[in-house]
Amino acid sequence: MKFDLGWLCELIDRAPDPDTVAERLTACGFLVELRERAADGEVWEIEVTTNRPDAMSHRGLARELAVATGAALRPLTVELTEDAEPAAAVAAVEVAEPKLCSRYVARVVRGVAAVASPGWLQQRLERCGVRPINAAVDVTNYVLLALGQPLHAFDLALLSGRRIVVRRAAPGERLTTLDGEARELDPTMLVIADAERAVALAGIMGGADSEISPGTSDLLIESAHFDPLTVRRAARRLGMHTEASHRFERGCDPEMAATACDVAAAMIATLCGGRVCQGRIDVDARPRTPRTMTFSVAGLARFAGLDIAGADVLRILDGLGFAPRADGDRVVVTAPSHRVDIDRVADLYEEVIRHVGYGAVPARMPVLATSPGHRHPNWELVDRSRDAAVAVGLAEVMTFAFIDPEDDALAGALPLPGGPPLPIANPLARTQSVMRRSLLPGLLAGARGNLNRGERALAIFEHGRVFAAGDDGAPVERERLALALAGLRDGAGVSFAALKGVVEELSDRIGLPQVEWRRGGAPWLDEAEGAVLAVGDAVIGLAGLLAAGPAARWELRQPVYAAELDLGAATGHKPPVRFQPVPRFPSVVADMTVEHPTSLPFAALVGTVRELATGLVETVELQARFSGGALPEDRVRTTLRLVYRHPERSLTQDEVNAAQAELKARLAARHEVSFA
Amino acid sequence: MSIARLDQARADFRAALAAAGRDPEALERVRVAFAGQRSGLLRDLAAALRELPPEEKRDYGRALNELKAEIEEALAAARGAVVDATTGAVTVTGLKATVRAPVDVTLPGRRPPRGAEHPVQLVRRRVESIFLRMGYDVEDGPEVEDDWHNFEALNIPPDHPARDDQDTFYLPGGMLLRTHTSPVQARVMERRQPPIRIIVPGRVYRRDSDLRHSPMFHQVEGLLVDEGITFGHLKATLETFLRALFSEEVAVRLRPGYFPFTEPSAEVDISCIFCGQAGCGVCSRSGWIEILGAGMVDPRVFEAVGIDPERYTGFAFGLGLDRVAMLVHGIPDLRQMFEGDQRLTRQFA
Repeated sequence: MKFDLGWLCELIDRAPDPDTVAERLTACGFLVELRERAADGEVWEIEVTTNRPDAMSHRGLARELAVATGAALRPLTVELTEDAEPAAAVAAVEVAEPKLCSRYVARVVRGVAAVASPGWLQQRLERCGVRPINAAVDVTNYVLLALGQPLHAFDLALLSGRRIVVRRAAPGERLTTLDGEARELDPTMLVIADAERAVALAGIMGGADSEISPGTSDLLIESAHFDPLTVRRAARRLGMHTEASHRFERGCDPEMAATACDVAAAMIATLCGGRVCQGRIDVDARPRTPRTMTFSVAGLARFAGLDIAGADVLRILDGLGFAPRADGDRVVVTAPSHRVDIDRVADLYEEVIRHVGYGAVPARMPVLATSPGHRHPNWELVDRSRDAAVAVGLAEVMTFAFIDPEDDALAGALPLPGGPPLPIANPLARTQSVMRRSLLPGLLAGARGNLNRGERALAIFEHGRVFAAGDDGAPVERERLALALAGLRDGAGVSFAALKGVVEELSDRIGLPQVEWRRGGAPWLDEAEGAVLAVGDAVIGLAGLLAAGPAARWELRQPVYAAELDLGAATGHKPPVRFQPVPRFPSVVADMTVEHPTSLPFAALVGTVRELATGLVETVELQARFSGGALPEDRVRTTLRLVYRHPERSLTQDEVNAAQAELKARLAARHEVSFA
Repeated sequence: MSIARLDQARADFRAALAAAGRDPEALERVRVAFAGQRSGLLRDLAAALRELPPEEKRDYGRALNELKAEIEEALAAARGAVVDATTGAVTVTGLKATVRAPVDVTLPGRRPPRGAEHPVQLVRRRVESIFLRMGYDVEDGPEVEDDWHNFEALNIPPDHPARDDQDTFYLPGGMLLRTHTSPVQARVMERRQPPIRIIVPGRVYRRDSDLRHSPMFHQVEGLLVDEGITFGHLKATLETFLRALFSEEVAVRLRPGYFPFTEPSAEVDISCIFCGQAGCGVCSRSGWIEILGAGMVDPRVFEAVGIDPERYTGFAFGLGLDRVAMLVHGIPDLRQMFEGDQRLTRQFA
């Protein structure tokens, strides 16, 4: 909020230099964000938090400044000369909703002339960002900036029946507000009406029909107190936000309503030459429940961790208007009407501590029972997988968790417990309107960006949550890891084998149980180069070459290999390693070249070899793979390297040769194989 | 047949060596013809190994290795060098031709591929490590939240103006994307009684997008609840943490602020780490950088989660991890961090 420094300082009896003012205001909770020079003064932008409507005026902030600098707030005096004609004879006020409008004060000023405001007033308004219009309207705005009480001036002649009725809007009732907008109202909204129709939106904005004009002679000044929630809901529903609604939503001082009305009437009479009718019309239905609280200075000192003198506590609370009374160590206070934010002892503690100064509180580390910190298992899991991805050379990216619904449809998703994507009711854009069910759409968009920039070796991963509506409607969240490779990796072009190597390395390090790779896939995977990763019956991941459809959708012009893993099956920790005795006798290596049908997958071949071989076979690994050439199309030649070892003695070559020969015979009996 | 080929090669080599005598240039030609890296005969012979049926491979390979050893040894000896049979070390005895050209040690090495973690995650881990050492647990919670934990339990009833500050994304069934990590505070306090000492890092969402706001960003929340916890404890804990995170030189300033779930509340600034408070663009010439929000847990929050506010006090704080990453590493645009550009991340390898 903007403040005129000169105006602010004239409200206290002795103001320090501007630097000190800025420092003190910031220290007691009003951050001076910006200081701008103006002719013979400064205009400051000061942050007033939402709980402090009382400080959203020059007088309110000056009260804080006085306490913060040891000065005194100058008293507010009103010099008002009243005419003999009683206001009640000229206008009437009826409040049909006293709960929503606990006080309505009105004054009538008659015979005003349409004049412009004097220069000093215009300057103050302009410095605070308000455009001067005419003297009468300017005064209402000035009083708002001065005292924080929103006012409205009606042209009394334009109020049918010279009556004010505060009531709920009728269903479908229409009102054209001062900004020229025709608005349709509903009964949740409070309006100011005359005998016939709504003339203002209570606490938000006046109506165009009863606006002050050059021809206005008689004014009715409204100074009311409206229910914060009612104002807030109506303003939100109508998409409005005004100086008045900003303050009413946060809570105005009902006591100030009368004073502000007097100040405005006196100023208008002075500037516009009118007569102020005798008396205020004051419909006052406020509940009278004083907010009285008692606390002990010792308790406050304990809570703050600060030695604090009772005299300081009393000085601060007195300056802020709490009328404190000392009773031994105890202090009894009553919250002033302008402090709508205070109703508990904790609130009072804050008042004292912020004016003593947070800087004055000595910093002392708490003394706590020693215990090691634990990390939630989920953090252990995600960081283990993150470490694994970094260890295999991937760069982490993070993309938004909301995506384009079309991308969701095209990317498909891993089977999740539950089903459809979660839509966002109020997205920033349609392209960010559903929660992702897969990390791939975001990752592929990232891949596209990198490749378009000429990246020759793309290796990225993303770690994050995916979301879906669960079976019972409750949302489901799962941790996932996805990665994409394109271009070069370690000097060679990426391939399915390169992708699989990375995923295998990851699943080992993450502590995923034995993962089985099966042919198959998902809509986004190429038919020839796609795999399903399974643990038992559960599918936990997909991997392979991106299919042509998604590649076109994400404008990827070169092969991109991608994988996505669900971390739900991972444990996040590996069980302690069981030491195996280190072999004491040498091994014998023997290769075996098997020609077999392409329909026999490598994993099945190795499985059979392991099953049929003697227990002396320690490992079976792929040595070479050959197809084409003289081989028929449906045949492939696989060279396996077997390592034989006996735990208690050295094996002879003859023993191994015999074992190999027997293994070949058994294999030939099981599968359609031959040996080169 | 193949072993025979090796014998032929041996014979050819011996003849060529004898013809070259001790002429260094002629010897070099022999070396290139037989042992050259690119087109030497040994290389072709080795390549032939792959085509052989497996049962022949072993014998061939053994013979090939013998031939190779003979050729290398003979070449070295012819040039006056002696090869030590056990260590393989080569000694040159007075000829100007060297055995091998020295490597250009300034050529780049061949590195294994290196990965990199996102800068925001690096900051998160540093924060975690500081608090773990102080005995705090690292907690976790859902990103899709209900209104109770995100707002009401934290003393933000429906229609509270504070909701304006946290523009929220709504999901079906009254759910929302959490606007801060504070709901995890409430969840933990509902689950267990004090003493509680936790931090909660995580991803949060607000409906806001510009240079300094991203609709998705990261926070870490801290909470300590026990008997006798004071505002001075909060101050010391934050000072300790911020100095460990930024630098021991950093000055910490608390000034009053407002959060519905703490009372009193504080905005916490650090002295500008770029200009040492001389005034620069980063601190808007103020010398201070706003870094986190904190305060003493509001008694209403304790009541909402079933903790006795008469017996316990506590403090809470929240820090923007992305903001710290931007500050520490000089990243100008928050949104840039979520565009998937690996060039950004790889700078942090």
